[in-house]
Amino acid sequence: MGFDLAFQNPERSVSHWNDLEIKGSSYIKPSFSWLDNKITEDDSEQDSKYVGFDNFKDVLNDPKFYKAIQNTFFYVLGSLLLILPIAFLLSVSLFQFSRLFRGFFVFSLMIPGLALPGVLSTLFYLFFHGKMGALNQYIVMPLGFDPINWMMDPDFILPSLIFQSVWRWTGLVTLFFLCGIEAIPRWQFEIAKIEGIGRLTKLAQIYLPNLWHLGVFAAVFLIVDGFASFSGAYNLLGGSGGIMDAGLLLVTYVYQVAFPGGSGQFNFPGAAAMSLLVVPATALFLFILLQSRQRLWAR
Amino acid sequence: MIRFFSFAFLCFFALVCLYPFAWMFFSTFKTNREIYQPTTFFPQSYEWDAFYLLLTGQTIPFVEYFLNSLMFSGMQSFLATVVCSAAGFVFAKYSFRWSGFLFGIAILVILIPKQAMAVPLFDWMLWLGLKGSGWSMVLPGIASGLGIVFFRQVFLKIPDDLIDLAKVEGYSTAKICWLLYPLILPALMTYGLLHFILSWQEHLIPLLLLDDNNLTLPIALSKLRDVSHRIPESVGMAAAVLSILSTVLIFGICFRKMKTALTNLSLN
Repeated sequence: MGFDLAFQNPERSVSHWNDLEIKGSSYIKPSFSWLDNKITEDDSEQDSKYVGFDNFKDVLNDPKFYKAIQNTFFYVLGSLLLILPIAFLLSVSLFQFSRLFRGFFVFSLMIPGLALPGVLSTLFYLFFHGKMGALNQYIVMPLGFDPINWMMDPDFILPSLIFQSVWRWTGLVTLFFLCGIEAIPRWQFEIAKIEGIGRLTKLAQIYLPNLWHLGVFAAVFLIVDGFASFSGAYNLLGGSGGIMDAGLLLVTYVYQVAFPGGSGQFNFPGAAAMSLLVVPATALFLFILLQSRQRLWAR
Repeated sequence: MIRFFSFAFLCFFALVCLYPFAWMFFSTFKTNREIYQPTTFFPQSYEWDAFYLLLTGQTIPFVEYFLNSLMFSGMQSFLATVVCSAAGFVFAKYSFRWSGFLFGIAILVILIPKQAMAVPLFDWMLWLGLKGSGWSMVLPGIASGLGIVFFRQVFLKIPDDLIDLAKVEGYSTAKICWLLYPLILPALMTYGLLHFILSWQEHLIPLLLLDDNNLTLPIALSKLRDVSHRIPESVGMAAAVLSILSTVLIFGICFRKMKTALTNLSLN
């Protein structure tokens, strides 16, 4: 990768990073930029100057930035909508069986979550992906479809990233939900039995109210992790966004812009502006989500 | 009938979760040609060449990277558990000026992933002169908002009487917190483990901050794949197997405690 190359020549890379630091810091902390200008005045190569909101304007005019936001949004939404219901169904199913059995199953479901994301994407690449891969051989082709080229078809890059996320986190969320269900007082189930209520009522009256907080907690965790996800896509797509940037996630793009990984732009200020635009918005959204269910942190 | 269907559903998911890893383990014995045929499960012959190549460091200094990873993640999760449990204790049991505001900040910190803050973090580490050292891996992430919220919730369950009693006995705040630790041991282990796994999986920050001579496992693994045309795939598989074995082992030890802690936590 380009990043490794940058380190192969120590002297050069050191001076390189020093330049970056001076240039970067003056933009990131605009209030001190006059100081940096003074420092870098005699160095004619440096053109650090206070540029106001130009970096934000550049970012807002960048179509790739919107693409990355859009991809990240669909990635997070897709993983949430798949993981939460599947994990709920799994934990309700598990609850019918004996304790030993539950332990064994939850443990095996957790294993992908314990693996490094890089391992997961390597496995995805070698095992699931490809014409001879498991997804095509065991699922797509027996159902009578043409084999899907998961990594080369722009329509399927994002779904394969979502698949990885589901594969990775479902076990942990199932464990959360299972512990939540085990903590529901027995008498609620006994009353449900005596009353003879249907399955939907049971869902609405027992499971949902009891698991709501855990659900919100899991959702927040998944949203934050989804926005921060980098490793899987980095390993799978080699630091690029894939074909037509169909798999370009936000952190990947910040990395591409700021560091010599993808494009080698060294655009520190642009990357900082990007983080500054997205992070507070997300945090505010999640904060409102949490405040609306305040009981999670209330006494 | 329902029982049967849910059993089938569970088995399907367990298979999706276990089969690829079993395949990965057997792939360590395979040749490249066999690995590119994902539908073959068992190798033709069993030879431990891949592990040998990996552990003797002929491809990459795997053992060093592994120990690095273990040390950084272990240090970080230990310090994070100590810091977050202390903070959670104070937030749960004491109220002081600005405590609500500070707790709000703690929640906000959860919501900002540190990967999204990679650029300023890089800048800070350069400024502190820590770039490339182990501390740049250990320090960011110690003050985890998630941990503070988690431990506050845990300490709220502990009756106030115990603390009043300890105050009457004349213990200091720090000493009280220390005396309560045995009571919340499952929670401490759970959080330590979760934090360990999250920092074990961290990829972006070591990629930016570490030099080539002390890398961590995630980067070592992607290096093995980068030059995979020279190194046989089975070596990468062996590295992956070793990296998973360690976390699964730790998880297996803590699993029962972890379930206890989570069940206690969702009791209200």
